[in-house]
Formats: sequence, structure tokens, C-alpha cells
Amino acid sequence: MALDVEWTTTQQQGRPSPGGPPLLALRKVTKRFGAVEALTDADLTVHAHEVVALVGDNGAGKSTLAKIISGVLQPDSGTVEIDGDPVSIPNPAGAHALGISTVFQDLALCENLSVAANIFLGRELRASKRSPMDIDGMELASAQILRDLTITVPSVRTPVRELSGGQRQAVAIARTLTTRPRILVLDEPTAALSVVQTAEVLMLVERLREMGLGVVIISHNLADLRAVSDRIEVLRHGRNNGSFDAATSAPEEIIGAIAGATRAVRPAWATR
Amino acid sequence: MTSLKQLFGGGARQFGMVFALIALVIIFQIATGGKVLTPTNAQNIINGNSYVLILAIGMVLVIIAGHIDLSVGSVAAVVGIIVALAIRDWGIPWWAGILLGLAVGAVIGAWQGFWVAYVGIPGFITTLAGMMFFRGANQYIGKSNTVPVPEEIQTLGAGYLPEWGPNTGLNNWTLLLGILAIAGVVYGELRKRRSARRLGGTPVPLWVSITRMVALGAVIAYATVLFGSGRVGTSFPVSGVILGVLVLLYGFVSSRTITGRHVYAVGGNKVAAALSGVNIRRTNFFVMMNMSVLAALAGIVFIGRSTASGPFDGTNWELDAIAAVFIGGAAVSGGVGTVVGSLIGGLVMAVLNNGLQLMGVGSDSTQMIKGLVLLAAVAFDVYNKVQGRPSIVGLLMKGARRGRPADPGPDDSTAGTGAVPVSQNETLARS
Repeated sequence: MALDVEWTTTQQQGRPSPGGPPLLALRKVTKRFGAVEALTDADLTVHAHEVVALVGDNGAGKSTLAKIISGVLQPDSGTVEIDGDPVSIPNPAGAHALGISTVFQDLALCENLSVAANIFLGRELRASKRSPMDIDGMELASAQILRDLTITVPSVRTPVRELSGGQRQAVAIARTLTTRPRILVLDEPTAALSVVQTAEVLMLVERLREMGLGVVIISHNLADLRAVSDRIEVLRHGRNNGSFDAATSAPEEIIGAIAGATRAVRPAWATR
Repeated sequence: MTSLKQLFGGGARQFGMVFALIALVIIFQIATGGKVLTPTNAQNIINGNSYVLILAIGMVLVIIAGHIDLSVGSVAAVVGIIVALAIRDWGIPWWAGILLGLAVGAVIGAWQGFWVAYVGIPGFITTLAGMMFFRGANQYIGKSNTVPVPEEIQTLGAGYLPEWGPNTGLNNWTLLLGILAIAGVVYGELRKRRSARRLGGTPVPLWVSITRMVALGAVIAYATVLFGSGRVGTSFPVSGVILGVLVLLYGFVSSRTITGRHVYAVGGNKVAAALSGVNIRRTNFFVMMNMSVLAALAGIVFIGRSTASGPFDGTNWELDAIAAVFIGGAAVSGGVGTVVGSLIGGLVMAVLNNGLQLMGVGSDSTQMIKGLVLLAAVAFDVYNKVQGRPSIVGLLMKGARRGRPADPGPDDSTAGTGAVPVSQNETLARS
């Protein structure tokens, strides 16, 4: 119930504040795989407190763009800027260092381990240099993180195997927050989730925006994106094909941009 | 019902297995007319199986990480012959022989770990090759001879703790170990309760903890009297002490250290572990190397027990160790298993062997029964996995689960009322 109130307040206040360099900006990014241009002069900006949705048909370059942000792929040309400064993101570790976290489509969770163990996997806490592992500390911290995000799990000691799809997605997102990122990339976070679980995840995205993160969310589900995002960026054949205000634009316009009805774009095969 | 579940299940899944083992012992005790629980027989069970149990401790880590090691018997054999020959021909002291053996084990482990972790050859293939190679190496180095070992090494494999202090009617070392073990159980239980409270949950009801402590304490006390009251000069076997130290050490490593957690992570989801920053290669290298070091130790303990190293030492040990691990609840697919569970799995096999033997069942029937027990244990495991239920106890308590307040329903959580992230959940109080 308390959440309902917050939901409406974020709807009103959640708009990004203009002015100042964007948290993340991609400018004229091009990426080729052999002869195929996955991205051509693509632009993307993300501000703090902003959820930017990235939509497009299959093969439009959404995931390629996400992988460039998360350091998995390197652009062939174009620049990536963080706080207005050009940076290079050589690998996922480099992205982490720059405050960029990614939750990939296939969840990177160990189902045999507990929620707390997953949240701190690879970054286990020690009480001191000499001590083996601070299990209590990690469980307490995990409980805190989950509580902050109002994620509901039976217990931080529950094995991930026993969680629902939505809870797993929530844990996957929660674990990225242990590194205190400023930019979070979510690749298809609601794919294969039930309606209720999707609502849970979207609520979580709202909360991330409240916490001041810049969120890039990739999805096929326009209804979900319109509910949660501030701005919808359409990609088509690796190019920007329109930017829409999620609150005011009509779904038909966006679908038109995705399908290529609103702007004449030569099909990919014609440019080869 | 819930309390009963806490008593048996309650996170300490091995607890239920301990009772399965005890039931087995009691059945055989009755069936053989009291021949199982005599001091001499109990000492024999430990002495005659400690090397397999040592292997099972290493094997469970290998299996949790998603590999398998078929070479342990051959590695134990080659280390055995090297130690025996070094002591006899080079005249090095017995302790140097042991250190040499462990070092050889480490080198062999590094060799196998290299192929598994850094080249990416499956553990099955690497260690199948190792099984052949090191068996041959044992016979090549020892020229297929039997080489005796000195008395100190024999003490390690079949010896007893010395007598000292006042006459208590028991072996005093055994008594001391028993008291320490009971103190450890009490301390562990208290610690568990404290940790549950610190996390903001409620610990299991006090009577559950007390019942658990009393039950385990009684078992340990009985074992103390059993092992300590043998003929003068006998006690809890030295090999059993070695085993106990290893169980404590590896139980700690597997559950409370980062290395141990990474072993579980690699076995559970290798890709996820790698993406999370777990060093997969180092973890795989660690489990394979560790296994060979423990195999070396098992080989040394065994040549002590059999007073000599021979060309056919360690035949089929790998299979005994693997069987113990799977009976102990490890999953074939990796990621699941415990050190204590494997120890108990190994003891189940040992008691089964011993009891059937005492009943006068031939080795042919014994083999058949052991085979069926293994199959049944793993079938149970697979069935539970399919059902999403954790254990035998979980299965028995099927009804109790339904009675419990269900997880916050989906409708609740969308409305935001079901937000009870953690706390006041009884699962929290488990460990």
C-alpha cells in the first residue's frame, strides 16, 4: 500500500533533470560484424534518475548496443562518454570500474547457492584480512539490499533454485548493486516472466530510478516499457529511428518507428 | 510436525543421515546377535575404512565442482610404493617419507589439475588416463614387489593412542576426544542460535536445540565408551583421529571459506561463476590437486594398515569413494554435497560391508546389496530433485509443508503488502 503512494510520486517527480552532461552518452557508435553493420552511427544518452528504453525489432542492434555499454564488445567507431568525458570500456571489469553494471538476459545466478551467496558471489566479504569469510555480514548486507529494493524472498538463505522467475530476476538485479553502479543495463528483464512477476520487476526498476541510477532497459514489450521508462529510443537496422516520450507518445507511433513505417529506411540487404 | 522437521531437517540434513546410519547399525546389531557394537569390531570398521573415507572427503569437493577423479586408487598406490621404497632403500626417517609422499601427491595433483583446469580436458578423461598411468607407475617403480613399511607408518594405519593418566576404565585419549567432541556439538548449536538471532530471525525452539544436543551427545558418549573400553592398549584408532581432523578441516573449508563457496559456485553454474568473477581455473586446479594430496595420504595410511606396499593396492578405491559421496547426498550434476554427508555415506557402506560379513553373507551377495543401496540412494536423490524436495525428511514431512503459512502470494506482492523481505521467517533460523 505504501508502495502505491510511492509509485504515483515517482510518476510525477521521476523526470530527469535537464542540464549538465548526461551520465552516459554514446555518440555515432558503429559496430560491424564482418560485412554486417550491427550499429550505424547510433546515439544514446542516459541521465541520472532516468530510465531509457531501447526497442527495436530482432536484429535491430539493441543487444549490440547493450554489450558495447557493458564492455563485452568494443565499437569500431564513435565515442562513449561518461559524465561528458570520453572513455573506453575494454571489458566487463572496466565497465564495473566505471560504474556500469549489466544484467544479461540469461541470468547469471548459481541455483545451488543461497540468495546471499549469489549476491556476493565473486566479491565475498571478509571480516578482516585473515578471516575466512564473513557469512553473517554478507547475509545481513543482502537482507539490507533486498529490503531497500523491497524485494520479497523467503529468506536470504533460500537457495535460488527455490525462487520464482521474478524473484530470480530481482536477485540478479540486486547483486549488481553491491558494486554501487551508477548505470544499470537490463537486457530483457521481463522476458519469460508472468504478468505478476513482470510487475514486480518493473516496480524494482522504478526503485532503481529513485535511487538515482541511470537505467537502460531492453525489451520487446512496449506496454511494460511505456509503464516504466521515461524515454523510448527506437533502433532499426542499427540506426536511431526516433525518440519518444514514454508518457505522451502513442504506441502506434512507436510501433511505426520499429517497423519502419514512419521513416524511409533502406532495408539492410540493399546497402550491402 | 514443523518442530519435528526442524529437529531432523533444519538445515543440518546430515542429521537425518546420522540417524539412518544409526538405524543400520542397530539392525545389524540385532541381526548378528551383538557382534557389531563390540570395541574390537568398531575399531576394525574405522581402521579398515579410514583410507576410503579420506578419499571421500577429497572426492566430494571434486564432485561438487562437477568433475570426477578415477585415479585416486592408482595415485594412492604409486605414493605408497614411493614412500615404502624411500624409507627402505634411501633410509630416510618415517616422517620424511610421509612428507615425501604428500609432496608426490601434490605434484601428481598439479599435473592432473593442469590438464583439467588449464587445458580443459574433462576430469573423467584426465583421471582415467591417470588411473592407468599411475597404476603402471606403481608396478614399474616397485617392480611389482611388496615392500614393507616401518612401525611408525603402521601406527598411522592401524595403531592406537597411547595410555596415560589415571585409570578411568577407558582409554584416556579416547575419553578426552569424546569430551571435546561433545563440547564442540554444544558450542556449534549455541553458535547457530546466536547467528540466527543476530540476523533478526528467531532460532529454532529451544527444546529442538536441546534434543539435538542431547541426541548427538549421547551418540558421541556411547561411541567414546565403545572405542575406549576395548582391551588395554587399544583406543579410538589413530587413522580415525586423522580422519576426524580432516573432516573438521574440510567441513570448514567447504562451508565457511571463499574457496569452498567458489567450489560450489563452479559446480552449480560455471558460466555464472565466471561472470561473477570467480576464478574457475584456480578453483578446478585446487580441487584436483587437493584430491591427489588426500589420495597420497590415504595411500600412506593404507600401507600402514597392511604393513607393506604392494602392486595391487588401491584397486577400485575410486569407486568406493565415489559411491560414498553419492550415498552421502551429492548430486551427479555437481554443485550439491557435503563433507560430513560423504563421511556418513562412506560409513553406511562400511557398516553394510561389516554387518553383512558378520552375518555370514558371502561377498557375492554383499556386492549385490551394496550396488542396490547405491542405486536406491541416488534414485532417491534424483526423485527429490525432480520433485523439488530437498531430502528424505522433506519427503516424510510433505504434509507439514502445506500447513505452513505460504510464501507471500503474488497478489500480495504487487499490492506491496507481502513485502516481508527477510525476518520472522523460520527458514532464517536454520543454518
